[in-house]
Amino acid sequence: MKKIVAVTSCPTGIAHTYMASESLEEAAKKMDVQMKVETQGSVGVENELSEQDIKEADAVIIAADTNVSHERFGGKSIVEVAVADAIDDAESLINQALEKAEKGEKTEVKANLQGQVSDEKSKRKAKRSGPYKHLMTGVSFMLPFVVAGGLSIALSFVFGINAAEQEGSLAAALMQIGGSSAFALMVPILAGYIAFSIADRPGIAPGMIGGMLASSIGAGFLGGIIAGFLAGYVTQWLKEHIKLPENLQGLMPVLVLPFLSSLIIGLLMIYLIGPPVEGIMTGLESWLQGMTDANAVLLGLILGAMMAFDMGGPVNKAAYTFSVGLLGSEIYGPMAAVMAAGMTPPLGLALATLLFKNRFTNQEIEAGKPAWFMGISFITEGAIPFAAADPIRVIPSIMTGSAITGALSMLFGVGLKAPHGGIFVLPIPNVVTNLGFYALAIIAGTIVTTFMLRLLKPKLAE
Amino acid sequence: MEVNEFINQNLIKMNLESKDKDSVIKEMIEIMAENEIITDKEEVIKKAMEREEKGTTGVGKGVAIPHVKSDAVKRPAVAFGRSDAGIDYGSMDEKLSHLFFLITVPEESHDEHLKLLAQLSRNLVHDDFRDSLLEAKDAEEVMNILENI
Repeated sequence: MKKIVAVTSCPTGIAHTYMASESLEEAAKKMDVQMKVETQGSVGVENELSEQDIKEADAVIIAADTNVSHERFGGKSIVEVAVADAIDDAESLINQALEKAEKGEKTEVKANLQGQVSDEKSKRKAKRSGPYKHLMTGVSFMLPFVVAGGLSIALSFVFGINAAEQEGSLAAALMQIGGSSAFALMVPILAGYIAFSIADRPGIAPGMIGGMLASSIGAGFLGGIIAGFLAGYVTQWLKEHIKLPENLQGLMPVLVLPFLSSLIIGLLMIYLIGPPVEGIMTGLESWLQGMTDANAVLLGLILGAMMAFDMGGPVNKAAYTFSVGLLGSEIYGPMAAVMAAGMTPPLGLALATLLFKNRFTNQEIEAGKPAWFMGISFITEGAIPFAAADPIRVIPSIMTGSAITGALSMLFGVGLKAPHGGIFVLPIPNVVTNLGFYALAIIAGTIVTTFMLRLLKPKLAE
Repeated sequence: MEVNEFINQNLIKMNLESKDKDSVIKEMIEIMAENEIITDKEEVIKKAMEREEKGTTGVGKGVAIPHVKSDAVKRPAVAFGRSDAGIDYGSMDEKLSHLFFLITVPEESHDEHLKLLAQLSRNLVHDDFRDSLLEAKDAEEVMNILENI
């Protein structure tokens, strides 16, 4: 039996959408064609087409007076008409669609890579549920921000590692795009879409606000994940438990939910998450101060592990600020260890996605490519999407690799005078001492990271 | 949520007087105004006309379903009108329209209202449902038919 999937939609979404849907279903029944119609009306999307439905369909009918996205129908025979046409003569529309499928007329849909990737992703996502699904939703929305931001920053280094300090320069503009815009949005987007996945649209505002606060209190992406889950579940709970009289119900989505949920999440982040985060950071910093005279290799090991632990969170920042602080005292070893350890997480993940494709989702494999550039540019954030998606396995892996890199860098007595820049500092004379050994330390750490990922990450079930 | 919460016999007019599209829309909206469903008649007429410009709501098979989503609407409601002579409503199939459903909903509506309206719309596609409305003798019979959707 032939199968057709259809989408109906009209501007007000009250009547035509459903009449068209009914017409198509009726006609299909008469013609002995299997039909599933997704209605995009005023109550939102109903009877949503699954990946499976679309895959099985011989043809697609879009009967809409609104803009219905084509992306998910790439490679299918599509007949697109006004919604009224489906109401008027569904039968000939179905014939038209089947004819088109018969002739093999495929409609080229310029689905961008992101679209395909997220489709692929959602296929696997469908098999998973609960917190994991929410986390993955957040990560897949965050990913473009990481890539756009990371590559913009890397590009700014091409003009010289300090070029971005020159106000009005292109390098500064790139840094503004990548650093203070894309990367600033990264954690709010992660948190916002985790919450969205849990509580639908009302989750976005408290989630993003919570994520923004996670950033500003220095809690990094782990803080963002906490904010996202908090926001999602709190909003969901509020949605289910606040009962307003019917004539006031209109106030729920516009006033009550966004305000209450954002207030609760905001206060929790500031008063409950904020103080321990700050405590961890200052505690770790003073602990590191006391270690200055300790065994150099041990210090490198610890600094390295810290860099990879939360990538932008309090632990990472403590290690980084400690090392940058030492530059003023002309102690260059820890800086070198820290930068090397910050480069290996994205590099190790990039290598792992290349070598062990069956342990990563398609989206991750694609994200592995820009991760190379972020790695060599010392943009540790390139590893965040991987870590956020599977923290329990990825974080220990990258910590091990970074720790070894840090230790080796210290062992080889490498010194670094610049606080950032990755590979772009290497051509500058006298910035790095023992360059050859430095490269060796980074390569070793990358390989260890990859090896650890191979060990810890299970094969994905197909 | 029951059908009789948004339509009752007062919202049913078995013999529409209008002869053309614009006046039948106004005639139907007048019914809504008389029953205090809407607060601003002119606004609702404007919205209904705007909707028609985007594409006719004369969906063919003798049915037209002008509809309005506006803050000038107090509660979701449906008015039903019939014209035995038929009115040229600029329908898809270029035939005259006999059955008219004016649907009005406030900007913020509950899903359950909208779902019921969706259910009504779905029924309009069926021949026997339309035929029974065409044959109904009075408003009471129309109500009976609608209550059974």
